[in-house]
Amino acid sequence: MAEEPQPPNIHEGVDPTEETPATAPPASAEDRKAAAALSSLDNQNDDSAAQTTKAKNIDQEALAKAISRLELSTGAKVEPSRQSENMKQFEERKRKRREEKERLAKVKVDAGDVGLLVQELELSKTKATDLLKAHEGDAVKAMRAFVTAPV
Amino acid sequence: MSQQQQMQLGSKERSLFKQVVEHYEAKHFKKGIKFANQILTKNPNHGDTQAMKALIMNAQGNVEEAFVLCKAALKNAMKSHVCWHVYGVLWRCVKNYEEASKAYKFALKLEPESQQILRDLAILQMQMRDYEGYIKSRRMILQSSGPRGKNSNSRQNWTGLAVAQHLAGDLYDAERTLTTFEETLRNPPSKSDNEHSEAVLYKNTIIAEMGETERALDHLEAVFKNNLDRTAVMEMRAKYLLQLGRHQEAEKAYRALLERNADYRAYYDGLREALQLGTSDTESLKTLYDDWAKKSPRSDTPRRVPLDFLEGEEFRKAADQYLQQMLHKGVPSTFANIKALYSNSAKRDTIQELAESYLNGTHAPLMNGSSEKHTTGEEDSAPEKSPFDMAVLYFLAQHYNYHRSQNLAKAMELIDRAIAAQPDEVNFHMTRARIWKHRGNSRKASENMEKARSLDEKDRYINTKAAKYQLRNNENEAAIANMGKFTRKEAVGGPLGDLIEMQCMWYITEDGESYLRQGRLGLALKRFTCVYDIFDTWQEDQFDFHTFSLRKGQIRAYIDLVKWQDHLREHPFYSRAAICAVQIYVRLFDDPQLRDESLNGLNGSLDKMSPSEAKKAQKKARKAREKQEQADFEKADAKKTAGAGVDGESKKEDKDPKGAKLVGTAEPLVEAMKFLSPLLEFSPGNIAAQQVGFEVFLRRKKYIPALRCLSAARSIDSAHPRNHEQAIRLRRTLSTLAEALPPKISEALEAEFSPLVSPDADLLEVNSGFLSENSNSAAHVQASLCARQVIDPQTADDNQKDVIRTLALPSVSLEDAIRGLDLLKNWKAQSKYQEDYVAAAHERWPEATEFSSKQD
Repeated sequence: MAEEPQPPNIHEGVDPTEETPATAPPASAEDRKAAAALSSLDNQNDDSAAQTTKAKNIDQEALAKAISRLELSTGAKVEPSRQSENMKQFEERKRKRREEKERLAKVKVDAGDVGLLVQELELSKTKATDLLKAHEGDAVKAMRAFVTAPV
Repeated sequence: MSQQQQMQLGSKERSLFKQVVEHYEAKHFKKGIKFANQILTKNPNHGDTQAMKALIMNAQGNVEEAFVLCKAALKNAMKSHVCWHVYGVLWRCVKNYEEASKAYKFALKLEPESQQILRDLAILQMQMRDYEGYIKSRRMILQSSGPRGKNSNSRQNWTGLAVAQHLAGDLYDAERTLTTFEETLRNPPSKSDNEHSEAVLYKNTIIAEMGETERALDHLEAVFKNNLDRTAVMEMRAKYLLQLGRHQEAEKAYRALLERNADYRAYYDGLREALQLGTSDTESLKTLYDDWAKKSPRSDTPRRVPLDFLEGEEFRKAADQYLQQMLHKGVPSTFANIKALYSNSAKRDTIQELAESYLNGTHAPLMNGSSEKHTTGEEDSAPEKSPFDMAVLYFLAQHYNYHRSQNLAKAMELIDRAIAAQPDEVNFHMTRARIWKHRGNSRKASENMEKARSLDEKDRYINTKAAKYQLRNNENEAAIANMGKFTRKEAVGGPLGDLIEMQCMWYITEDGESYLRQGRLGLALKRFTCVYDIFDTWQEDQFDFHTFSLRKGQIRAYIDLVKWQDHLREHPFYSRAAICAVQIYVRLFDDPQLRDESLNGLNGSLDKMSPSEAKKAQKKARKAREKQEQADFEKADAKKTAGAGVDGESKKEDKDPKGAKLVGTAEPLVEAMKFLSPLLEFSPGNIAAQQVGFEVFLRRKKYIPALRCLSAARSIDSAHPRNHEQAIRLRRTLSTLAEALPPKISEALEAEFSPLVSPDADLLEVNSGFLSENSNSAAHVQASLCARQVIDPQTADDNQKDVIRTLALPSVSLEDAIRGLDLLKNWKAQSKYQEDYVAAAHERWPEATEFSSKQD
């Protein structure tokens, strides 16, 4: 297992204020060494003094504003006059992709066809539906496209 | 609700519960369980405790029991976020991310303030590449407060959101997020602030990714001076300048980079582009490289690269100088460094002439340097003793051993001369082993490599080589003994356990392929499954980096990691193991007899016995195996109790070391899909992958995917012989179906397949047409014989005889011949034919182990 599951009520990251519980010393000398090496690794960047200085450098007022803007700012509501040419194109492409997605969402597909594709092509239901929609709900067309899909 | 339950516990139990959690954290699982049980004897239905116990059981490996207990916990405490959280963790551990995500979300609904659940969910969404969800979670984390105050105080949480937006394709949002945080800083961060330095460069890559190179350059110029990653900023700046067509500045930038490292080819390419030199302008290019060669006398690159673009007399001059210099220095890798040029046959011939002239002393010695002394003075008195002569012999032996310039007799003669002069040189014996390998004699190859190893037992490289050659010669025991000389001997299962723990994939793969050649399918599957699991582990390992990289601020490297992970199973190690595994499963499906692992010892001999004798033999083998298994089991059990660790935990024991369970599967084709799906998804351009895919789908009666594999294989290599064989077999199958296919399936199928083989075609005729068109190629003949065998089993006798005839074709290769023998074995051909085949092949390839071992 790559990562040990975390218990529900501990918090992530090294908390310098909290001592490692005395009830749980590392099992062997080897483990202790490894643990020490690991925590010193963390200290290079995560050392608490550096963290506090960094935190002090933050303008709390600006931060509060930034946080309150956060809801608005994601989702790109920049006034058109302030958008660069590239940004406009970027947004345009995004809009087109969204419209295409919306268009495809409206294509009607037969549930039986979806089932057939799931069964015979071994696709997930979502993928089978997408494949059908991309071919106007025509199962035969969809399967032919599946066969000849470029490598 | 859960708090209420907590309240119900007495104060003693409350502290016990705390201890359970602590013991879990410290991985003292047994104690954790003990305390949990203490609480549960008093409060048998306490959900949170049950959930914690389930979590510990899961960590101990009792996954199924953990699930049962956690479900019971949920029944007792439907509204406890602890229970739902644990439930999510359990699902995550069995890699069912969908269910895990659902459970986390439920837990979060019950406890919206829990940082831990929020983070677990976020990481999971990242792992699932659910970028939309990840953005949402990241935003929630940023807006909430953690144990150290507001999360928004910490840069990593802003960067986390930016990463989510970046990967989702919202580049402008990502940039804005990063900028927002920068604007909250009162003073510019200190120069040694690595996190800041990295974040700035990360932002720069996002701007460049938008295609706004001009702006990216301006931004980079502003941070250029103080950034800590000097190489990166210099490289990015040079690249932007080049992209913007500002050639003079780009030239300067690339020259500055070359001053730092004159051995990096990419810088030369950049400089060439900046100077707007075409690849055909060889004169200016040569001057350019010569300048750098003068400036950096120890660099190889400016001397080696011109050999790529020079032609004719120019090439001869440059190659002569390069080779003489390298050989005088005695650089052992000279040939490896030069062989890429051999794809150009004129260059290959020139190099051969040059090297031959060095050998017989007819060359013009280099004018500069100390070379003359070596070549003129010593050569007459003691031939083949000067370092230069030895280097030339070694070079030429490798030259004649290389497939584009192969003359194995000559190679052997040269290397023997070299060995006669210097019997203790490891490299010489290694090359000798390689020559034997190319002659098809894996036994002698292995012996020679072992000899080389014995000359330098402390060298890991030659040790590895020796083990590999032993595996190629099916000496698995000797190979593992050699490998064991360099392992730590700590893992369970001896050196092999170490190698598996170290994820030593080349060894595991070669070992598996060796067992496959020996027909020991269980062990082979065991190894290939191990490779599969290693890739799984790598994918799992990502989990750690989703938080670690953000904490360390190494964002660019993290983005690279994510992109690499998205294509993880493209790796040749995966496709190689997967193709072999799928082939084995197909064989198991075709011949269920193989499933009985013990039969592998009796392989072949069984066919000669009468049915009753065969049954007896099978029974006997099975009994012997069961007895052996029982003994093994008892031994393992005894070991377990003896070897139990201090905390009562024993290391994981492999319950199926021989792969008997794998090979005994009732549904080999289902198992095959596990390997096949990622294989086809990530290596669709691998023709062998498409071919094994066809075999699986045909047997599973999934004709559309089978045809897809076939058509993909045709587009990869339209002339591959198996295309024909598979097409014929598909048509044959379709025309003999017991039950008609659903109309839509059959319509789509025929629309694409009829143009290849029409439904009305006379398959025997099509096949004999193919045979006569390709009668000179052994591989094509074999393919058409396979097809004939399927169309008309009556032709079996002819087919077997015809396979023997392929050995007389002038163009037949050793690989063809080995495949032919496999074919006869698969058909269970008469032993007389098999013997005839081996005898004929032995005559043609007297050195090949494949055809000699049976007679020795």
